[in-house]
Amino acid sequence: MSLLDKDTRKQITEMFQAMNKPVKMVVFTQEFECQYCKETRQIAEELSALSDKISLEVYDFVADSDLAQQYGVDKIPATVILAGGEAGKDYGIRYYGIPSGYEFSSLIHDVMMVSEGDPQLSKEMTDWLAKLETPVHLQVFVTPTCPYCPQAVLLAHKLALASDMVQADMVEATEFPQLSNKYQVMGVPRTVINETIFQEGAAPEMLLLDKLKEAVAVAA
Amino acid sequence: MTFELNMNGFSLDNQANDYDVIIIGGGPAGASAAIYTARSELRTLVIDKGLTAGALGVTSKISNYPGVPGPISGAKLVEIMREQAESFGATFITDKVVGMMIDGEQKEIIAGTGNYRARVIILATGAMGRTSTVKGEEELLGRGVSYCATCDGAFFRDQDVAVVGNNDEALEEALFLTKYAKTVHLIVPTPELKARDILAHEVAENPKVNVRLATRLKEIVGNGRVENILIHPRKGEPEALPVTGAFVYLQGSQPITDYLMGQLATTAEGCLVVDSEMQTSMPGVFAVGDLLCTHIKQAVVAASDGVIAAVAADKVVNGRKKAVVDWG
Repeated sequence: MSLLDKDTRKQITEMFQAMNKPVKMVVFTQEFECQYCKETRQIAEELSALSDKISLEVYDFVADSDLAQQYGVDKIPATVILAGGEAGKDYGIRYYGIPSGYEFSSLIHDVMMVSEGDPQLSKEMTDWLAKLETPVHLQVFVTPTCPYCPQAVLLAHKLALASDMVQADMVEATEFPQLSNKYQVMGVPRTVINETIFQEGAAPEMLLLDKLKEAVAVAA
Repeated sequence: MTFELNMNGFSLDNQANDYDVIIIGGGPAGASAAIYTARSELRTLVIDKGLTAGALGVTSKISNYPGVPGPISGAKLVEIMREQAESFGATFITDKVVGMMIDGEQKEIIAGTGNYRARVIILATGAMGRTSTVKGEEELLGRGVSYCATCDGAFFRDQDVAVVGNNDEALEEALFLTKYAKTVHLIVPTPELKARDILAHEVAENPKVNVRLATRLKEIVGNGRVENILIHPRKGEPEALPVTGAFVYLQGSQPITDYLMGQLATTAEGCLVVDSEMQTSMPGVFAVGDLLCTHIKQAVVAASDGVIAAVAADKVVNGRKKAVVDWG
């Protein structure tokens, strides 16, 4: 049974017509031991069917462990959004857990953003990222029922698109309780920057920039 | 674990979400603005949290609104205004705005149901925001203190939580939390519930909800995470209620501007600053009603603000140099 209904498919198909460059989705699953692997794969399959500019590769987390390692994927289900075509640049945009509910809209936005290649960040942020020499890892904890969460996820993914030094993960908190526990997630969105700095809520760009500077200062 | 595997039924960006004017808040200021913009044939969307979400909606009797002898309930008066705006083509949706991008010519509003775009935004969110937080609230935010049950409810499975507040939102969130929590203590500052009858009834019938009327929240206590809340019943001694989550929906008399995230100029008191046409520091963004602190808080004054902004909005959308006033 299709997860996307007819109207949604039509709406997304129309949106995807504005796509510029091709986009690739890579999904890591493991059919029998993972809670939402099947549905995550199905979402990616149904989306990629809506545009000939989207290609999809599905791998098994165990059988294809070399590839998982190459992508830095350490848990499943995982969805990676990267540039399509021969070049296939990996910007560091990751979804861990199912991109459903409000996060489904993040996924669509990301596909469009990667296709366009323009993160549309402020000049201050762009200038700061251009000088960034320390790797930055953002983990944005979300739940699918959180209307504030896509703002935090999309901002993190914009940073990843803009800078090779940034990797940004959406992490669906209820699917990874051990991580939620580790980072004391009791409210979402909660962004963990380089394991050391935490941001509660959907922070505006300038507030997040302050936190990023803090995280880089800690690393230095 | 269960959550809705929902990929459908919410709006993605498409042309159907494009409007000329988006009005945030459907009280007397917002609804009056909508009457005028819709009548000027501007595609008008009003995003509102609910009929009883604002100051007029919770007022029990009004007898001084010109042309409406009353006494009439505030909610009924708001409803009449909305129906009038809808009759001219305005669209009303029940939703909560969570963010906005307003610096470009085309503004984008992020709400729970999707993103909406317009040339002109009229802010009419009123002044029922909180003036201060209770002790422990800020320190424990994200450590058990939450303002969004739909976001965070899943973290409180089989636990005891408290919801503090007395409005539709507080009751709706309390009912949502019963899906996860063992017990939901609803702490209501006043002696009776002020919410839609159907919600009050549902809350009373739900065995997981423990309603504490006439009880104030004094403090949220915890070391690193919420451990209990200190409450004070009007008739009785203060007591510590053991909970791991505290969901706060209290109201006050401050202009509600949190969703603007500091993008507009405000006074030291937190009121929006506007020019004679109700335009804020950002071109194309207007503010009306109790968000301004320049006048008396009366429905008719708020309505008048709405009309001034609506006429200015027409100028912006249609590129007019002079206002065209509808005398009819």
